[in-house]
Order: sequence, then structure tokens, then C-alpha cells
Amino acid sequence: MRVLFNSFSAFLRVAIATMMQYRGEIFLWAVWGLINPAVLYAMWSAAAEGNVDQTLAGFDRGQFGAYYFCIMIIGHVTTAWDAYELGYFIRSGSLSPKLLRPILPVWEALAANIAYKVATLAFVVPSWLIFYLIVRPTFSAGLWQISLGLLAVVLAGVLNFVIGYVVALVAFWSPKLDAVGEAYFGMAMMFGGRFAPLEALPWLLKEIALVLPFRWMYAFPAELLMGKIATASEALAGIGMQLVWLAAFVLAFRVGWAAAVKRYTAVSG
Amino acid sequence: MTQIQVRNLSKVFRVPEREGGFVASLRSVFRRKYRQVNAVDDVSFTVAQGEIVGFLGPNGAGKTTTLKMMSGLLHPTSGECRVMGHVPWRREAAYLRKISMLMGQRSQMAWDLPPMDSFLVHGAVYDIPRKQYESTLDELVELLDLKDILKKQVRTLSLGERMKCEICISLLHRPQVLFLDEPTIGVDITMQARIRDFVAGYNRRYGATIILTSHYMADVTALCKRIIVIDHGHILFDGQLGELSAKLAPFKVIKIDLDREMDGYDFAALGDIILCEGRKVAIRVPKKSAPSVTDRLLSEVPVLDLTIEDPPIEDVIARAFGQRRLGDVTGDASEARVPAAESAS
Amino acid sequence: MITRAAKLISLYARVNIQNLAAYRFDMYMRIVVSILHLISELMGVWIIFHGTRSVRGWQWQHMLVLVGVYRLVAGGIRIAIVPNMRRLLEDIRNGTLDFVLLRPVNSQFLVSIREVVVYRVADVLLGIFVAGYGCYALRGALPFRESVEFALMLAAGFAIVYAVWLMLGTLCFWFVRVQNIEMVFWNVFEAGRFPIDIYRPQVRWLLTYVIPLAFITTVPAAALIGDEAKIPPSAPLWGFALAGIMLFVSNRFWHFGLRHYSGASA
Repeated sequence: MRVLFNSFSAFLRVAIATMMQYRGEIFLWAVWGLINPAVLYAMWSAAAEGNVDQTLAGFDRGQFGAYYFCIMIIGHVTTAWDAYELGYFIRSGSLSPKLLRPILPVWEALAANIAYKVATLAFVVPSWLIFYLIVRPTFSAGLWQISLGLLAVVLAGVLNFVIGYVVALVAFWSPKLDAVGEAYFGMAMMFGGRFAPLEALPWLLKEIALVLPFRWMYAFPAELLMGKIATASEALAGIGMQLVWLAAFVLAFRVGWAAAVKRYTAVSG
Repeated sequence: MTQIQVRNLSKVFRVPEREGGFVASLRSVFRRKYRQVNAVDDVSFTVAQGEIVGFLGPNGAGKTTTLKMMSGLLHPTSGECRVMGHVPWRREAAYLRKISMLMGQRSQMAWDLPPMDSFLVHGAVYDIPRKQYESTLDELVELLDLKDILKKQVRTLSLGERMKCEICISLLHRPQVLFLDEPTIGVDITMQARIRDFVAGYNRRYGATIILTSHYMADVTALCKRIIVIDHGHILFDGQLGELSAKLAPFKVIKIDLDREMDGYDFAALGDIILCEGRKVAIRVPKKSAPSVTDRLLSEVPVLDLTIEDPPIEDVIARAFGQRRLGDVTGDASEARVPAAESAS
Repeated sequence: MITRAAKLISLYARVNIQNLAAYRFDMYMRIVVSILHLISELMGVWIIFHGTRSVRGWQWQHMLVLVGVYRLVAGGIRIAIVPNMRRLLEDIRNGTLDFVLLRPVNSQFLVSIREVVVYRVADVLLGIFVAGYGCYALRGALPFRESVEFALMLAAGFAIVYAVWLMLGTLCFWFVRVQNIEMVFWNVFEAGRFPIDIYRPQVRWLLTYVIPLAFITTVPAAALIGDEAKIPPSAPLWGFALAGIMLFVSNRFWHFGLRHYSGASA
């Protein structure tokens, strides 16, 4: 445990230093994360105006503003790129030295992930504020919703990292399967509530979204933060679902990783 | 004391067969044909603590595969291996902490940062006590002359400088067993010599066991008393360097370009003919007689250009162990041998 | 002159087609990814028009046309513009641009035709199909006049994108380390997924006259739809004028950059 902690903090220090070397690049990544929700906000608020009551799926302009403001923040917290990177490590052979260390490579990836999010804060927080000032969202969240919502956002970040890493394990079987990463990302977009609030989905898509884990990473924390979730029991149940999915995917990671390493040590090394 | 024990170790790879043609390659997307390759075939040996053992063999002989199985990066198809009582491919943290593997072409350094940062991470991951970390690092920095490059970005270092850093990081946790896979690949001759000296020194100081692969004869002969020659996955020789040298009966390859063709001249009287095609001739002669043969050639035939080279390791092994590898050793003019001979220069 | 240019283009294209076979798996993968993208874009249209009948005057058929145009333009950019500019950046970084400059061919022309990623044609075909379907759903036929107008506006749009890229590429003569120009471009391009009418007036103005994104997706789509409410009748003129101006400016900028380049490396 102590070794893990020391190693992790060392990874984190080095990862932040590396991120600083690439500040130009990571800022651009961060911009990308801002543009998508902003464009979708414009789209949906325009769409709501087309309806007689100026609302769509129970959201008016201000609420779409609040929703996409939250999605913007959650999108940043849940960024993960292992689905692309692990395949690169395998192809280039740089995975082997990582496997020789007495620590799982996933810890290093997690440190890099957190480092990215911290290193870009100085840039994204002002951008969030600007978006807030322009959009003037209407929030109806109380203190308890905001504090539980922040917890849910953090859990969403962890959950997305773990799921993304499990998806990335596919690369051990076929290192060039970019399409898997893309499909995962697209599904998170559609069924997670990033493209549209789940309420706005046609029933078939909504039914699919309700059983998939993605909604717990985007729609749920966003609705909680903006105050759409009115009762504490509903909020706690949602956090419970996040934990259940997290446990399931941590387990999937353990099984998957063992199989992946077995595969790796059988064929490539 | 036996530290490494390898018994009947084998590794079979399945490689997809590549087929030409559009339709065939389309079909292979759905159903691939595989070919079995015995990369390592029934290999057994033991290594005592503090030994330096050299694995010698041409590219693709199975040296690296064996090394990877000993370090736990590869799972064998069959056979056993114990290193300090551990089964390597279980990859227990306790085992990984006692070994180190240096792969000449794969970096363990963080590319965009100074080496110091990578060292710090290594110290944490291997749980090296602070005092020991500092003293080991000081010592390594001193011995490897790293002081000036500790603060430079790794990607700006020259290959030789980077190699020194790789060695430093591999030794920070004072591994008891050190696997070196082609440690001198791509670095210049002075640097090769320094790396060898350093490895020998580490072995003396800490009594560490060192397994080294190389396809440079010089690496192996300079460092190792014991040599294991491996080719096509088989051990051809396992013994003292002296014995091997006797077997290897050193020879040189003399290559000449002639001004005109010399059909009547009896090159075979000078040594084994490797190549005799038009105005290009290559002859293998015992090292001792190389000067006299050179003299004779220069005086008796119209030579435009003459080079004397060490034969490639493939040839040395083929000759020493009677393997029919690159054509018949006794010397018909087979074309297959020519590129191999040239690559030695 | 023109035959020579055409010969060069077909020569480079042939080399690129031959390379195709070597990266077959990549090619299939990329096509699968293109299809996935298209599916998600179509689903997007479905979701939007599940909740409303029109977005600032754009009905679902209109939006289909726009989705098709967006895919078509993105595909076109990836076929020839981005790969050439990538290669240009690489050449500038490695100093191998000298080989291009030594050739007895117009340098701007040569750096713009060397690379063709043939399989991206899939994007273009998918885009045309979707846009065509949207058009058909709207009026049961493909109108001739609008199609011609669309083709012209599309050409103007591509000219604008090309000019933007050439200028971005030329910037690298000064800032060799600008590696992520491509990402900046796609970041902005993302905003063209939807009609620019959805944005506030200030943003719309910005996307029309400062970053002329409107002329790249919205205007060609509106031309194909043939709805005068979506674009003022003067828009095609504006588009052509802008394309002409930008081509001219980017050409001047390229030569200015070249002078700087040869001056600096001498």
C-alpha cells in the first residue's frame, strides 16, 4: 500500500511535468472538450424555441444552458484516452518495460489522466466561467444536490477511466482496432446524455440508454448538479448505481487484465 | 550456488502466413493460415550466482525469446524455469524487484523529461530505501559519468548518453540478476567498450548474475567466461570461452575486385572460395595466413580493390558446428552467402 | 501547362492508389469508423426531430442534407487537403522541403497534390448519398438548377478550406513547432455540423465573415435545399468573392513564407 502510494505520487509528479512540456497540445485537447457541448447547447436551445411552449423534453433555454454547462465540466473530468494509447504502446513495444516493473501499468495511466485534468484547470475554469456568463443558465440545485453532484462527477471520472481501460484491453488481441474506441466514444455520446438529455431521446434509444452504464457518467451527474433530481433518495440511488458499475468494471478489469497479460506473454513479449 | 535453472524450455509461435493477391488477402481476414515456428526448442542450462553468461547467435536464433522467458515477459510453450526460486512468468512483484532487463532498443525513460525524473519514479516503484537510493545513484552517476546530462531532456540525448541512462536506471534497485538484450546495439565502439567495462564492474562489486545476448562477438568474448551458442532455437554449445575459441578456428574473409576476369587462376589453392563471379572474388582463409595470401593476390592477380573482413557470426557458427546454413561451407559459389558476407563489413 | 498539371496529379494519385494495398487493414478500419460516424450523425438528426419539428426553419430533410454535406466536405478535406498539409509540415520540420523547391514545377501546386488518401472517397460517397436522400425526401426529385448551384458553392467552400490550410501550413515556416494545427482546424470545423442559424447573431457573424465556416457547410447545403430563407440571394456571390480573395491572399502568403524560409535556412 505504501509502495503503491509512493509510486503513484511519483507517477503523478512526472506526469504533471510531462504535461507541462506539452501545454500547447493539451490546451487544444481541452478546447475540443469545450466546443462540443457549446455547439450542442446552441443547437438544443434553438430547437426548444421552435416549440410552442419554448421547451423541449422539459428543458427551456436556461435549463439547456445549465445542463450543457454541467456536461462541459463532466466531459473534462471524464476525459480518457487509453482506448487509443494502449494499442500504441503494444505496437511500439513500449509496453514491455512497463510490464517488467513490479506495479500495474494502469496506475501510471491513471496518474497521467489525473495530471492532464489538473494541468488544464487553469485554462478550462475561466472558459467555463465565460460560458456561464454568456449562457446565463438557470440552476435549481440546493447545497446538498451540488455536494452530492460533485461526488457523482468524481465517480463518473473514475468510472469512465476504468471502463475506457477495459475497452482498451481489446488492443491486446488486435492492436489496430481503432473502431472499438470510436464505437465506445460514440455510444457514450448518444446513450450517455452528452448529445442530448436522456429525456429528449426517442423511446427506443432511451430504453437502451437506461440499461447501459453511460448515463451514470454524464446524464446523472449533470441532472443532479443542475437540480433536476429532486429527492435525496433518487440521488443516492444514482450514486449507488455508479458504485455498482464501478465494482463490476473493476472486476472486469482484473479478469481482463490477467487474460490480456497471458495473451501478451504467449505471443509477443 | 545455482541461481537460474532452465529445463527443456520451448517456445512455439504461431505466425500467420501471408498470402499474395487481393482475393487471398481478403480471405485471410476471415480465415488465417498459421505456421508453427519453434523459436526456442528444448533448451536446458543452469547458471550459478555471479556468473556472466553470454548468449551468442545470429538474429532470430532464439536468444531474446529465451531471455524474455527468463524475465517473465513470455510464457513458454513447455518446460521449466526457476530464477532465484521464482517461476518468472508468474510475474510476482517480489521477483520483478530482484531482476532487471535492459533492452537496447526499448526505453524505460520518460522521453520529455530529464533522466532524474525517471530515476525518482523508479526509486518509488521499486521501493528503494532513501539512503540506498541516494548512494546507489551517486555511485552510478560517478561511474557512468552522468553528471552533465542529468538535467537534459532524454529526447535530446545522444544514443550513447541515453544508453548510459538506461543502464543507470536498470541498476538503481541493485538487481541480483541482470538480463541484457543487445546492450551495445547502435552505439559506437568506444561506448561499447565502456558499457562492457561497466557491466563487468557491476558483476564484481555486487556478485550479480548477468545474462547477455549479443550478435557482436566482441561483446561476448570481452565479458563472458561462459558462452552459450544458440541457433534455430537449439543450444549448439555451452562451455568455456576458451573451448569455443579453439572450435572457432579464427579466419578472415578476403574480398577482391579484379581488373579483368581470371578464369585460369586457381583461387582454391589459397583458401575456401565463398564467391567467384566474374571480377568479384571472396576467399576464406585462416587468420594466420591472411597476410601471406594478401601478398600473393596483390602480386599475382590484377587487383582493383581488396578488403579483409571478419566473417559474419552466422558463418562462424555454421563453420564451427557444421550447420548447413548459408550454403555449403566448403565453398561452392552460392549467391545466398554474398549479402551475409557483406553485412559483416 | 494544364495537361502537364493533370499528368502530375494523376501520377501522384496512382502512386497513392498503389500504396493503398499495403495499408489494407487500416483502410477497412477507417471505412468502418466513417460509417459509425455517419450512423451517429443520423441518429442525431433523429433525436433532434423527435423533440421538435424545425430548428430555426430547418426541418429534418434539410438537416439530412446538411449532415450529408458535412460528411462530404469532411471527407474531401481528408482526401487531399489535410494529407498534403501534414506532409508539408513534416517536410518543413525535416528540412526536406528543399527537394520540392528544387523541382521545376510551381511549388504551391506541388505541395498541394502529393498526397491523396483514396479510401476517404467512402466519406464523400456516403455524404452524397445522405444529402441526395434528404433532397429527394423534400421534393421527390433532384432539382437541376439547385444541384448546379450546390456544386458551385461546394467548390467555393473547398477553395476556402484549402486557402485556410495553406495559410496554416505556411505559418509553420515561422513556428516550426506548431504541431496541432490540425486539431485547431477540426475543433472549429465541428461547429459546422449544424446550420449556423442556430447560433446567436454575433457568433453567426463571426462564423460568416471572420472564420468563414458558413460558406463551407451551411451555404452549400442551403443551395441544394433551394430555400431562400436560409441564405440571402447574395450569398453565392459573397462566397465566390471570399474564395477568390482567400486564394489570392494565401498564395501571396505562401510566397512570402517561402522567401522567409529560404532566407532563414541559407
